[in-house]
Amino acid sequence: MATMSQHMELAAEFDPRSCRHLIDGQPYVLHCHHYAALYTQLAEDCGMLDGKRLLAEVAEDTFYQVFSGYFRKHGIESVPDRIAAAEEYFRITGMGILKVLSAGPDYGEVEIPSSHLDEGWIKKWGRHDRPVNHLGRGFIASLFCAAFDRPPRSYSVTETISIVCGAPCSRFEVVAE
Amino acid sequence: MAIDRRRIIEALSRVSVAPSEQGLIPAFNVYVNQFPAALWNGFAERLTRRVGSDLLPVAEHLLVNAAHECGYHTGYGIITSEEWKAVVGPMIERVPEDVLHGAFAVFTAWGWAKSEIVELVPGEKMIVRAYDYYEADSTAFGTTRKPSAYMIRGVSAAFMDLAYGGQYDASGKTGLNTFECKQTKGIECGDDYGEFVVTRTAAA
Repeated sequence: MATMSQHMELAAEFDPRSCRHLIDGQPYVLHCHHYAALYTQLAEDCGMLDGKRLLAEVAEDTFYQVFSGYFRKHGIESVPDRIAAAEEYFRITGMGILKVLSAGPDYGEVEIPSSHLDEGWIKKWGRHDRPVNHLGRGFIASLFCAAFDRPPRSYSVTETISIVCGAPCSRFEVVAE
Repeated sequence: MAIDRRRIIEALSRVSVAPSEQGLIPAFNVYVNQFPAALWNGFAERLTRRVGSDLLPVAEHLLVNAAHECGYHTGYGIITSEEWKAVVGPMIERVPEDVLHGAFAVFTAWGWAKSEIVELVPGEKMIVRAYDYYEADSTAFGTTRKPSAYMIRGVSAAFMDLAYGGQYDASGKTGLNTFECKQTKGIECGDDYGEFVVTRTAAA
């Protein structure tokens, strides 16, 4: 994790007492594509409840905390600056490349040309017949909520085409609830 | 034992995980991500608290399994990596026991759990203690009756698979799941540390 990049300034440290990796004071942890893919598969196959929604909501809540706290701490007010920071965060956490193509308070279009989750799923199991990037959907929802000063669950995000299904990039449509 | 935990933690806690131009982090034969611990805890806790008592064992098994596979494949990537060979390799006298002790030092260095092996019966049983681990953060106040360290359970069993389960199998068809792990104590449950007992599975 870089401590500083073009659009984000993150303080990364290892606490030798607790042996935790902290970024801006919050515990972060390294995991692999097997773990992310298996959590996603669990969400996909979960007959007990709507696991896909659950995973997306947890991601939305987690990253909303990151973005809203970061924007507040650094006084980032403009929507373009907020989007640039979130795009950079996506990259430096190893999630891939995320590009917001358009964004307004009521809608948005997002592209993911490189995806940790999709590449990991393909590496593990091959292609799939439907999109699986529920973590990405949650991330995008959190980005829009934080960018437009809305609370979580203000947007619905749909993955319309997907790398895991064979498309060259994944695309997402965002609509205000 | 020649394993110097302090030196390993000191060296490997500094390993950087810089993303490629594609925003991916290829390392140790896997793609790595670095997310807030709250993400993993959030999914595990909301899932296990919502499914109901009859389905709880199934949900817990699937969460442990995710970590078990992760620990098996990433663990193998770690113990065959250049970083491992440079830092831990020279300390290894007994295989696989020293490898196991070294693996838990790396487990600690990477922020998964401040943990160590406190008892090891080669090929049969291992007891691990964790004095600080992110999965305990799911309880911010008071204590819970439900242990929550699914990741440590899975990875601990995976490390025993790698040590005593036969040759590494990238397909996961053999070698994986020769051991299983039970959590017998937890910080989230009010204990001073988490304790994890790994034994051979009945079928192994």
